[in-house]
Amino acid sequence: MREFQALPAQPAPVDTVGPIGWMKTNLFSTPINAVVSISIFAFLVYVLPDTIDWLFFSANWVGSTQDVCSAEGAGDGACWVFVSAWMQQFIYGSYPDPELWRVNAALVALGLVIAAPYLLPKHFRNTVGVPLFLLFPFIGAAFLDGRIFGLEYVSTDFWGGFSLNIFLAAASIIIAFPLSFLWALGRRSDMPFVRSVCVILIEFFRGVPVLALFFMGSVMLPLFFPEGVTIDKLLRVWIVLILFMSGYMAEVFRGGFQAIPQGQYEAADSLGLSYWQKTLLIIFPQVIKVSMPNILATFVMLFKNTTFLLIIGIFEILNTTQTALTNSNWLEGHAAEGYIFVGLVFWCCCFGMSMISSNIEKKLDTSHRS
Amino acid sequence: MSKEHMPEVRPVKSGSFFNNPRNRALIYQAILLFGLGFFFYTIVSNALSNMEARGIKSGFGFLFTTSGFDILMSLVDYSATDTYGRTFLVGLLNTILVSIIGIFLATIVGFLMGVAYFSPNWLIKRLSIVYVETFRNIPLLLQVFFWYFAVLAALPDVRDSISFGESVFLNVRGLFFPEIIDEAGSGFVYAALAAAIVAIIVLRKWAHKRQDETGDQFPVFLTSIGILIGLPLLALIVSGNPFHLEYPEASRFNIRGGISVIPELMALTLALTVYTGAFIAEAVRAGVQSVPHGQTEAARSIGLKESRIMSLIVVPQAMRVIVPLLNSEYQSLVKNSTLATAIGYPDLFTVFVGTSLNQTGQAIEIVFMTMAVYFVINMTISFLMNRVNDSVALAERK
Repeated sequence: MREFQALPAQPAPVDTVGPIGWMKTNLFSTPINAVVSISIFAFLVYVLPDTIDWLFFSANWVGSTQDVCSAEGAGDGACWVFVSAWMQQFIYGSYPDPELWRVNAALVALGLVIAAPYLLPKHFRNTVGVPLFLLFPFIGAAFLDGRIFGLEYVSTDFWGGFSLNIFLAAASIIIAFPLSFLWALGRRSDMPFVRSVCVILIEFFRGVPVLALFFMGSVMLPLFFPEGVTIDKLLRVWIVLILFMSGYMAEVFRGGFQAIPQGQYEAADSLGLSYWQKTLLIIFPQVIKVSMPNILATFVMLFKNTTFLLIIGIFEILNTTQTALTNSNWLEGHAAEGYIFVGLVFWCCCFGMSMISSNIEKKLDTSHRS
Repeated sequence: MSKEHMPEVRPVKSGSFFNNPRNRALIYQAILLFGLGFFFYTIVSNALSNMEARGIKSGFGFLFTTSGFDILMSLVDYSATDTYGRTFLVGLLNTILVSIIGIFLATIVGFLMGVAYFSPNWLIKRLSIVYVETFRNIPLLLQVFFWYFAVLAALPDVRDSISFGESVFLNVRGLFFPEIIDEAGSGFVYAALAAAIVAIIVLRKWAHKRQDETGDQFPVFLTSIGILIGLPLLALIVSGNPFHLEYPEASRFNIRGGISVIPELMALTLALTVYTGAFIAEAVRAGVQSVPHGQTEAARSIGLKESRIMSLIVVPQAMRVIVPLLNSEYQSLVKNSTLATAIGYPDLFTVFVGTSLNQTGQAIEIVFMTMAVYFVINMTISFLMNRVNDSVALAERK
């Protein structure tokens, strides 16, 4: 009896595997798709080479004045010399040269403070990590200012550039953390007066354009202080940013509270924990965990919105760029280069943060959706 | 449960007054009330004395005084001799204009890009991802500047305008296109248009009822389009075309006639559209992804075509997630339109908080009026979107 012998497996049809198969399913699956693919491709071929050439190959990279870009024989692409010549201004504003290490030190300290919970042993987290985190804005501001530490005094008029964007955003969200948590608690409170005050606060700071808040800070706040008292402009901006951020974060926390099962509260009550023990030990850690992606998203929004400070004359990075563009030595139209640089800087930061937040979201997501 | 098993309720003894949650709540609220009262008393008295010291009159009397400055663009007649009240109106209308155009365009761009994410075409999907991730992560103000100072400022002079068929011109002064001017008898065409809209609404109701009763479908969409185009067209022919187009005419240095869109408005709407569009695309993507895959599979198994699956099964369920997100995106678009002030588009913020405040110094009144306006606009959007939300929400048992 002949034994059954299977024929050797045939290779898959050529047009279903490999690059051809991939192209067939992903680019040319229907006639319309084919037309669309070809036109997008044609567009890219038409645009990309020139763009890449402008950005890289015929761009001018070295030099210190714009004459390098307009000189004969210079490439007719982007003038990155503009960016490199102004780099220090873009990052540090007009902070005096010999004191720049303070800005760098503060940036590093900020990084360390954020990383502290991961670096410190567990039992130091609450006793060292959290107070450091909450005190950082004040210590950092005093350090940059310099008077308290016996360093050379640098007025806030000289602070600027991208480091200012970072500091303002970080200092605001750090203070907004506890404040917004209180507001969110107030909004859930049983006390009607407390609740209505919190609702009004939250809705006010969410419902009003942030620019109007900045103007409120710069033209209205001075009227509210007693005569003779002047508050630093940057400090007023900081207060406004904190309140604005608190409004948004309180809503984020409210969402977090709603995600906590009622059983957690009941269990805490049945253990005989007081209100603050229950809130801080049982509820808060869980709220933070579920709200983390949204907190990051809110932070990204705040971070991008720090550019709005240009309008009230704070020298953050975009304002520095505008100043550089109107500088009499750089009048040959470098707007595109400047904006591309600033855009790239922001894009890297914001995209990085949104990647982190979507990673956290994925980790927390236990549903099995296709 | 019988009565003897009930725990005995004993009055709390030691420190009972402060341990009673109700009393404590009262005390906390009293402290808060007192604190707030003190806070407001202080700032109001400070503000009053400060304003007195600076010689600022409080009150809204300034609204009736002459403003004395010109505005770049206004939808109603305005001149420098008009009052601040009129300035407010001009700014308000400009804000509403840019908001409506922005919301309209951003919705279209956002839905197209959001749906593009689910395209079987690899290139289109990448295009959607790149668009969303690029424009979402770059500050809006930077985008406004980019369009205004880098793109629109690079357009040619009036003399070398880019023209499309000698009727639409694009140059550094803005975009110019023909204006439709009514002649006698144009009311007839408008009436036909109104009649067409009414007819479509009636037709839809009728078709819906017929389908409920008999199961027969009626090609509502095609018929509606036919009515919408046909009826006004018929009226146009019957009344002998009571319109004419006023073309913009290019001279050496200027362009006259037609409708002109100033570059400030173009830059602002472009930036708002592209930025908000990216967020709306993200919302649409989240909405479509929130519909369980089983829904699509079930729809396929009963033999629906792919396009019908999208319109009958997926989109209605996705809308439940999309509409609340759209609501907040629209509101932030309106709030972000205040960035007009950075490039000088005369919206409410620019003319009122900018110029008028500078001239009159009435900071409190002006800032509060402006805030109130944005509040009201956002409440209106919220109200309308909540109506939409009610219509797409899951119909649950009452």
